[in-house]
Amino acid sequence: MSEEFEPNIVAFLCNWCSYAGADLAGTSRMHYLPNIRTIRVMCSGRVNPLFLVNALQQGADGVLISGCHPGDCHYLEGNYYARRRFMLMHKLLEHVGVDPGRVNMSWVSASEGAKFKDVVEETVTKAKEAGPMDQFRRRQINW
Amino acid sequence: MVDPKKLQDKAKEILVRDDVRRLIGWKRGTYGYEAAPAVIKDASDAEVLIFDPTCVQNPASFITLEEKLPVPRGAEPDTRKVAVMVKGCDSRAIVQQLVEKAYDREDVIVLGIPCRGVIDHRKAEAMFGDVAAPVEVSLNSDKVTLTVNGEKKEAKREELLMDKCLRCRYPNPLVSDFLLDGEVEKFADDDFGDVAEFEKQPPADKWAYWEEQFSKCIRCYSCRNVCPMCYCVECIVTKLRPQWTRRSTDISENTAYHIQRAWHLAGRCIECMECQRVCPVDIPIMTLNRKLTRDVKELFDYEPGVDTEAQPLLASYNPQDPEEYIM
Repeated sequence: MSEEFEPNIVAFLCNWCSYAGADLAGTSRMHYLPNIRTIRVMCSGRVNPLFLVNALQQGADGVLISGCHPGDCHYLEGNYYARRRFMLMHKLLEHVGVDPGRVNMSWVSASEGAKFKDVVEETVTKAKEAGPMDQFRRRQINW
Repeated sequence: MVDPKKLQDKAKEILVRDDVRRLIGWKRGTYGYEAAPAVIKDASDAEVLIFDPTCVQNPASFITLEEKLPVPRGAEPDTRKVAVMVKGCDSRAIVQQLVEKAYDREDVIVLGIPCRGVIDHRKAEAMFGDVAAPVEVSLNSDKVTLTVNGEKKEAKREELLMDKCLRCRYPNPLVSDFLLDGEVEKFADDDFGDVAEFEKQPPADKWAYWEEQFSKCIRCYSCRNVCPMCYCVECIVTKLRPQWTRRSTDISENTAYHIQRAWHLAGRCIECMECQRVCPVDIPIMTLNRKLTRDVKELFDYEPGVDTEAQPLLASYNPQDPEEYIM
């Protein structure tokens, strides 16, 4: 039995652009990789960078945060704040020794179904290269 | 060196004022290489106050520690000021707290002390061993003179001072109402060479290092309690609903805790190095903080605790922020 490692990716998609972009990819019958588990949030600025640490603890091998293009935020500036935060969190996790390929961020608008497909492919490829996340995953204790 | 007489007189002069509630400074410790923080309410107690290179504690940490009890009906809230003595690095904590509007500038009286450096008790213990009595220390341009158990000892400045002092860019208080001594010259520039050196390693080596360090952590939260910037009423790590980190001390939760701690100080850490000093298991906590400090400076050209008019880093943005890793 030779099973290739299939990473679990948690994707935080903003309601107004990226989620609609993912929806467009689906309605356009594009095939994107099934590794991602989507969590819809109202804005990429809503995503606390600690969600990402928590996701890695709870079994994710990679994380994707996706929001509107800068300047297009439904709430005018949410993605600008998110950009600063995730830049620093990315650097911090890299410093602790987490493979930088596990943390991904992208701008996907509601009309970019094809881009969403590419983003997912790239995220999965990077997570595959990084391998299973076993650094600080929570151990499941079976009582 | 600050004349203790002058320091105590100034403290008395401030404490007799009606609009001052208390003064936070340093007094001689009971043993070892560190002074003790002193909170003084009455002018007659001001004689215990000192300043010398054993005064490592950051008194700015204590301003926000005061419990704000509900005011009884009919009573007026106590709006008197708190006076605080600060070194250069401690004054940055005050600036950053003012930036974050933890209190107003009128609520504090800042007694600034230009500082030539404070000694690292770990380095001193390694050189001279433990002592049961307080140690007297004096410092001139390149030598530290200590009186350990009645004997005079000498050491070079670089051998005994805290790491932060060897790369201190702000020896003079950045905010102060009274300056208790003449200003001193800046000692060095910080090139963050240690961060760059650490970063050269591949991820696996970095993780091997941090895995060893984080697994030592006993989660006493000393680093959080001593931090002048950690003044949330309820800290995220002790919160149970939602629970962000579990309380078990395994590698997963310890790593999450340390990432959280460092993350919450991103763009806020003023490098007083108190967290690392108090750590009972010697985790090099500042390595994480300094990494973020350097990145904040490089990416956003921002330095916390320098300008009282600045905006907090993560509560502001610039449309031209870098986004090199974003797809």
